[in-house]
Amino acid sequence: MAQATRSERLNAAAGQQVQRVRDFVDDTEPAALVVVTIIALSLLAAFVGFLAVSNLTALPFALFVAATGYGWVRHQEETALVLTLTMTVSTLLILGLIIVFIFRESVPVLWYESVTVLGVRVPGLRMFIQPNWDAVAPPIRYSMVPMIHGTVMVTLVATAVAGPLGVAAALFLSEIAPAIVREFVKPGVEILAGIPSIVYGFIGFTILSPWASDQFRTTGQGSYLFVGIVVGLMALPTVVSVAEDALSSVPESMKSGSLAVGTTDWQTMTSITLPAAFSGVSAAVLLGVGRAIGETMAATVMLRGVPRLTEPLVNVFYGQETLTSLIARNYGEADGLQMDALFVAGVILFITVLVISIGAQYIEWRMRSKLGGEA
Amino acid sequence: MAGATRSPLVEGDTTVTDAVAGATVGLSAMLFALAIAALFERVNLTGTVAGLSTVTLLGGLLIGLGVAVSVFGLGSWFGYVETDPDASAGLIAGLGAAVPWFVVGGGVASQTLGFGTVGGVVGGLFVGGLTFAATAVPREDVGSTVPLGALLVLVGAVFLTGTIGPAWIWNLGWEQQASITAEFLVPTATLFCSLYGGWAAAKAYGRFGARGRHMGAYVLIYVNALSIVAFLFILIAFVVVQGISGLLNGAQVGAGVGPQVFGVVELPVYVPFVMNGVALLNDFQGVLPAIVGTIWLVVGAVLFAVPLGVGAAVFLTEYAERGRFTQIVEVSTNGLWSTPSIVFGLFGFAFLIPRFGNRKSLLAGMLTLGFMLLPLVLITSREAMIAVPDEYRDASAALGVPKWQTIRSVVLPAALPGVVTGVILGVGRIAGETAPILLTMAGGTFVPGGQTVDVIGGFEFTAAPPFVANPELLQATSALPYQLYALITAGVGLGSNVTDPDGFRWATALVLLVVVLSFYAIGIGARYYFRQRLRHE
Repeated sequence: MAQATRSERLNAAAGQQVQRVRDFVDDTEPAALVVVTIIALSLLAAFVGFLAVSNLTALPFALFVAATGYGWVRHQEETALVLTLTMTVSTLLILGLIIVFIFRESVPVLWYESVTVLGVRVPGLRMFIQPNWDAVAPPIRYSMVPMIHGTVMVTLVATAVAGPLGVAAALFLSEIAPAIVREFVKPGVEILAGIPSIVYGFIGFTILSPWASDQFRTTGQGSYLFVGIVVGLMALPTVVSVAEDALSSVPESMKSGSLAVGTTDWQTMTSITLPAAFSGVSAAVLLGVGRAIGETMAATVMLRGVPRLTEPLVNVFYGQETLTSLIARNYGEADGLQMDALFVAGVILFITVLVISIGAQYIEWRMRSKLGGEA
Repeated sequence: MAGATRSPLVEGDTTVTDAVAGATVGLSAMLFALAIAALFERVNLTGTVAGLSTVTLLGGLLIGLGVAVSVFGLGSWFGYVETDPDASAGLIAGLGAAVPWFVVGGGVASQTLGFGTVGGVVGGLFVGGLTFAATAVPREDVGSTVPLGALLVLVGAVFLTGTIGPAWIWNLGWEQQASITAEFLVPTATLFCSLYGGWAAAKAYGRFGARGRHMGAYVLIYVNALSIVAFLFILIAFVVVQGISGLLNGAQVGAGVGPQVFGVVELPVYVPFVMNGVALLNDFQGVLPAIVGTIWLVVGAVLFAVPLGVGAAVFLTEYAERGRFTQIVEVSTNGLWSTPSIVFGLFGFAFLIPRFGNRKSLLAGMLTLGFMLLPLVLITSREAMIAVPDEYRDASAALGVPKWQTIRSVVLPAALPGVVTGVILGVGRIAGETAPILLTMAGGTFVPGGQTVDVIGGFEFTAAPPFVANPELLQATSALPYQLYALITAGVGLGSNVTDPDGFRWATALVLLVVVLSFYAIGIGARYYFRQRLRHE
């Protein structure tokens, strides 16, 4: 029953789309239609040519430019519509291309690292069940386990730093700070987001790493603890700005209602504002986690670059390698299977962060519909 | 009548208690500052401060703070101090107090008494649970002060008796060797204790109850906000102090000292670090090629991403009906925004490089950064366009103006400030990105001035398709973030090229920071300007 209504609905939606296209064709002058068609087809041809690494790509592209120029002068309305539509589609296309290309590059090493389980060949499984990465001496193994461990350690420390500090700073900005203080602190947080990660990494590498190695009497430099702290500071602005948006989207009437019965500001925050914005605040922390997972340069210059697990696993005073730093450090000398293994690391990163991003958006969407604001 | 005779007494009492509680908060602030100073070795642990050895001083202050906080709570309990406590300090305060006691209990059980890891966890849970009960069960004035005061006294006593002295060290006994030293433990423990002490003291200052909690929370939140701002300033100031000497190395001011620009004007300033490349015969080496490379990268990325992003935003807000399609685009744009920069780099490596002559090139770097910039432009432009009131559109439509005309002459101008601000902030972000250009553009550690990229002069026409070629775009050049990365990883090998490699690195970091932050300054300034103008209209 549900199936039937679903397909009916889809049919109806498709019918509507067809109807809209038909209306567009009916309402538009034939000359404009021709121009629009030429624009679309030539751009498509140029794209196909680009994908096929053809030298002739320039020809359809030149046609596209010419047709667009002509259409702009003679049929601006239709040309603008088609142009903006293609721009929207190309945004989707870029995400699609990223998925296709990084997955395609990672296929060979997945076959190489396959394991037969119960008579079924599972590609890529060996990358996750043994912890040995060795690209030089046989047996050559490309395990992702040490890097996943490193990324998890760094992300845990970073979240412990960015989560509480970020939410507290967001509360300060959205609920507590006087307007004049906010005018200064808010750009400050934005500027914090703007400091390039390589500058953080440089300071970490020259100042923090030697200091930490001395403080904890470790052999050599580089520890997950301090990479995590630095990455947490870098993720902080993301948490602050998203959480602040969530907190200030709580309707003023709810807060005033609470204040009117004589609560303190802090009571209103803990019993009204924070619970109402809870999902938005957790989405902010999630996005911060996503930032921390993807942070590359600080980790690359501060870590040791030896892909192995720390002994014992909870030893945060040693930092070996994360998924991101593996790619940044090894792209130069890598080729063949090793390069493909770097793409596997990229795929893991991409999927993890995409899932986090979609999860955060779902949480935010639920919060907005719960608060009854505009969707 | 009784009230009339009592009130001056109560008031006099109030000012004294206020002063005591306020002094306690001040004491914890002092401890906080001392702890930070000791952590960054501004204060030597083995040395002395004000005639006392540092550890002794810290211990004494901690005990003083702990005693003051506890006395305040007990005084309120016995009715010597006028307060307004709740029945319980609450579960959050209980958890907050239980965590440090869990650490203390666990440490003592596993290390001092030698019960091992399991014994440590059990001991920690026992002590932590006890603290939780002691905080949450009694009335708020006792619950929120005595357990924390006791913690402070304990930690202070440990420091004062020399159980943990300046030379104390605890080898964790792990296979990869690491130890916890007094240099780290003493300042960190003091830091957390001072925060706890300040929290409890602020609650007491607010006379417990709802107002006390308000004070306690506000103290912590203000400390947090202040620390973030202070961190930002220290970070920037540190880079400036370290880099300024390298940047101004050999700088001159005066008529005619600078290089010629546009073949006519001679600049009145000469800063070799930003006006030279690297050459054997140069007196002062510089990073000009990297600066020019960064500028071209940004220009290319903007030319690619801004039309695309703004166009897509126009379609989504003005033409498309809200539904599944716009939702998919929104979700994937946000996904694209959070995609790690190194993944963009991998994508550029796999997709663009084979299509641009199989080598790293400026063009590939531009497009990769453009892909990164696109979602940001799309999101901010869309927000700006949604914020344009529908009345504008309706008014224009009522005059019979076609849709695109309305967008072009009404919606886009009204949304322009938001779009511009978003683009500038986005540019600031990508200008400092290293990871994507690492895989797509790269370049050398030291780049001769002759290799400064000249995109405009590089265009040439060819007989074979694609008819237009620009070798400058198709070869690798340097960019500031990449150059800094290369300088860091090159390590000791720098000495032969530059007389002062460390100064050279810090100066590069400073130039990069200045370039990126000036984008931010412009962006934030533009937003401020547009908002002011909007308010006046």
